[in-house]
Amino acid sequence: MHRTAAAQRYTRRMWKISALYIVLVAVNTVVKYTPDVSKTALALGAIASAIPILLMLVVLGIYLREETDEYVRDRSVIALLAGLGALLSLSSVLGMLQLGGLVEKLPIFLAFPVWCCVWGGTQAVLRWRDRRLAAQA
Amino acid sequence: MKNRLKVLRAERNWSQLDLAERLGVSRQSVNAIETERHDPSLSLAFKLADVFGLPVESIFINPSTE
Repeated sequence: MHRTAAAQRYTRRMWKISALYIVLVAVNTVVKYTPDVSKTALALGAIASAIPILLMLVVLGIYLREETDEYVRDRSVIALLAGLGALLSLSSVLGMLQLGGLVEKLPIFLAFPVWCCVWGGTQAVLRWRDRRLAAQA
Repeated sequence: MKNRLKVLRAERNWSQLDLAERLGVSRQSVNAIETERHDPSLSLAFKLADVFGLPVESIFINPSTE
């Protein structure tokens, strides 16, 4: 499958940042279960876990600027919006359900994986649709 | 936007991939333009015109004149 140079650079950067995110989540988990850990260390660990997320958004921004294939770029933006829309809708629904006491409190940090899953899933669906349509041509 | 990409490609015996390589875009982009799911930017429209050696208005059909 054709992948632009920008897409290849984006994938390489994303792999590195995803690895950093996983390491930081693992470190935070270990720190949480370490006895006598200071509140400062817990707070610093929590703040550090946001760094790869911010880096991912920077890498996405760089990709959208570097991508020369405008159709592929549009598709990426649609997938990003789908992820954002799903996340905001889900958080609104769950927030209201929590307010009404219908569901237990859920871990807020799941927001990022949910966004990633919907974003990646939408990308995959759009790519599959395009491959199918191109094969029919 | 309606266009004559498929006909122009066929006249030159080019596949969508051939055209995509000439334009420096993905085959899916060419397919999306050809099937009117994506309107190309002005710069891509001019690139198409260069590749086919035709003016833009010979490739794309002006919606106001349909």
